[in-house]
Amino acid sequence: MKTAANLNFGEKVVISEIDFTHPSSKRILEIGFTPGQEIELVNRSLFHDPLAFSIRGSIIALRKNEAASIIVS
Amino acid sequence: MIPGKAEKPVLAALVGQPNAGKTSLFNVLTGKSTKTVNYPGSTVEYSTGNILTKYLQNYTLLDSPGIISLNPGSPDEKVAVDILYNHPKFGSPDFLIVVVDASQLQRHLLLVKQLQMCGFRIIIALSMLDTLIKKNLDIDTITLSSELDCPVVRVDTRTGKGVPELIDIIKNLSLQNDNLLKPATALGDLTHAQLIGIYNEIERVTSLVINPADDVEPGHPNLARANSQLILLGVQRANNYNECKKLDANSLRIDKYMLHPFWGLISFMFIMALIFSSIFWLAIPAMNIIDGLFGFLASESVLLIGKNIWGNFISDGIISGVGSVMVFVPQIFILFFILGLLEDSGYLARGAMLIDKPLSKIGLNGKSFVPLLSGFACAIPAMMATRTIPNRKERFLTIFIIPLMSCSARLPVYALLIAYLIPKDSFWLGGIVLLVIYVSSIVFSVIIASIVNRFSNSVFKTKDNSSFILELPTYKMPKIKNVISNTLNSSYIYLKKAGLTILVFSIILWILTYFPNTEPSVPAGNYSIEQIEEMVAHQRLQTSYAADLGHYIQPIMFPLGLDWRVGVALISAFAAREVFVSSLALIFKVTADDATLQQSILLSMREAKIESTGQLLFTPATIIGLIIFFVFALQCMSTLAVSRQETGSWRVPVIQLIVYSGIAYILAFLAVNILRSFGIN
Repeated sequence: MKTAANLNFGEKVVISEIDFTHPSSKRILEIGFTPGQEIELVNRSLFHDPLAFSIRGSIIALRKNEAASIIVS
Repeated sequence: MIPGKAEKPVLAALVGQPNAGKTSLFNVLTGKSTKTVNYPGSTVEYSTGNILTKYLQNYTLLDSPGIISLNPGSPDEKVAVDILYNHPKFGSPDFLIVVVDASQLQRHLLLVKQLQMCGFRIIIALSMLDTLIKKNLDIDTITLSSELDCPVVRVDTRTGKGVPELIDIIKNLSLQNDNLLKPATALGDLTHAQLIGIYNEIERVTSLVINPADDVEPGHPNLARANSQLILLGVQRANNYNECKKLDANSLRIDKYMLHPFWGLISFMFIMALIFSSIFWLAIPAMNIIDGLFGFLASESVLLIGKNIWGNFISDGIISGVGSVMVFVPQIFILFFILGLLEDSGYLARGAMLIDKPLSKIGLNGKSFVPLLSGFACAIPAMMATRTIPNRKERFLTIFIIPLMSCSARLPVYALLIAYLIPKDSFWLGGIVLLVIYVSSIVFSVIIASIVNRFSNSVFKTKDNSSFILELPTYKMPKIKNVISNTLNSSYIYLKKAGLTILVFSIILWILTYFPNTEPSVPAGNYSIEQIEEMVAHQRLQTSYAADLGHYIQPIMFPLGLDWRVGVALISAFAAREVFVSSLALIFKVTADDATLQQSILLSMREAKIESTGQLLFTPATIIGLIIFFVFALQCMSTLAVSRQETGSWRVPVIQLIVYSGIAYILAFLAVNILRSFGIN
């Protein structure tokens, strides 16, 4: 299962679902990560965590473990 | 509304996501009548003001802190949401102006939808249209208004364009309170599927309203609408929105460096170094001027009033007290200013992202970064700034270690002690000693944070999901005018809060050192007037309340090589650390005749001897011990009070006080005695 946590730099993918069991999942949805949206990994911090994604025209930084709740295809 | 009749003003609140342009719109609408106030019962700051009377009569406007959703994720968001429901002082707002960033329409409409679901009466102020127009796109506001069933108005928050239209809408708003608000907690019960449903609806709306810019002719909205209806192909609409979602190319380019594994770290270090060096070097000339000025005022007032109880009170009690507060205003100002620049430019979010991983290793969060940085100005605003941290344990741990950040109140103390320690001509050496103090305080705070983190369950009794979700805003040139006005505001609030305490304490301290023996008798003899004055002052202090108090703590001070006089100064430093300096001045009966305050204190310090043994009181060993003491000791009542307020009980502040005072005392004791065993007195 591929998640947003293991994207390559600059890779564009479409969100297929969000893992609702993750404690941050509602916030992740609220900030715009919903199924069907295209995301791109635009930046990585030191140690490759947190990750910065482009979503709905904004750049949002998420921790790797939170990005792992975003399942992509 | 009948003119002249005092009616309850209409209350409007500005709502929006962070960085939507709320505060700029607030400034345009209220002019200079802004007032920063605290939310009663908390310390989240926001502004209120009256809408300029050239626009509207008797309207009050609240500027609430930015929120992403009505379902609050952190303590500061919770207060922002509470303001919308029932403000304890103003009541519930009659209507809301929701500022929506047109270039981030979808994400910002989520808040609009939530507000509508809860039954708020809203007007949408569409900002940042210029960003969208640069992408050759525009928004059909008429369709947006009918789709969302609320008024929509385009505003340029910088120039004030669109404000008259906004005012017209407000005038025509019916304010009958017919519907009841649903509590925002209902939104917390929304299922994941319902949230996705809201976004689907938002996507449908945005696909209808975003059009190529050429289609929207100003003044001919109907034409635009007609055109958009001609575009029947959904594909084309989707393309429009995809264009809209394009990221700011400049920000991406800058982030290539700012978030680069190597260059990002280098620029982070460089920016931090810049902040700290400017706190020291830029502030010092201003501090010297202020210090000199108050030294001058103190000695002039004695000359003017005479060397009696009143002259003494005015010069030592009040002027020196006020001076000790004013002297570190330049530093506070510079730090707030630089923080403001970094925040406005968009860098702070990047800094938080860069440092999230290292901080999470010691139980903190990237969002601890800004509070910790503010801790170098003052622990009080820093602890309040922790409200942006959603996780309770991380927030408490941040609050726990903030007192270790070397706040600016410690700087006058270090400045004095270092000046004593090093030869007068080697100014650069002082800078290096100061750097060592700062770096070691950071190193120790890392160590202490990781130790406390191990015991966090028993210390904080709280545990929840650790999270870091943060928008990285578009980089932009900071608006210097706004930054300066915010800086002035923060400095003023700070002065008002800390200044009064410090003034009160320096008056209390003056009373303690002056009474009960106000006019002591001195042995008769052939003495000069100056000698008699000195003996009187000395005798007065020897028999004062402060001396009584000091003798109780003498046994505690002795192992540190210090005596009761320093003990009294340390106790009074609980009012605020820099009071240590003014207390020393009082206790060593410094009269600033021609030199600055600091030089005359130094002179008296060099002559001070421990009364029982006749040894010099201040030696390199005891001074180093004192510096170490100040690095760790939680010498600040206001910090304890804010810590209690922010953590909700006395538990954390009491543990902080015990742990930090204990470490301070033990390490100072070790330092003094180890240095002495090596022959350094």
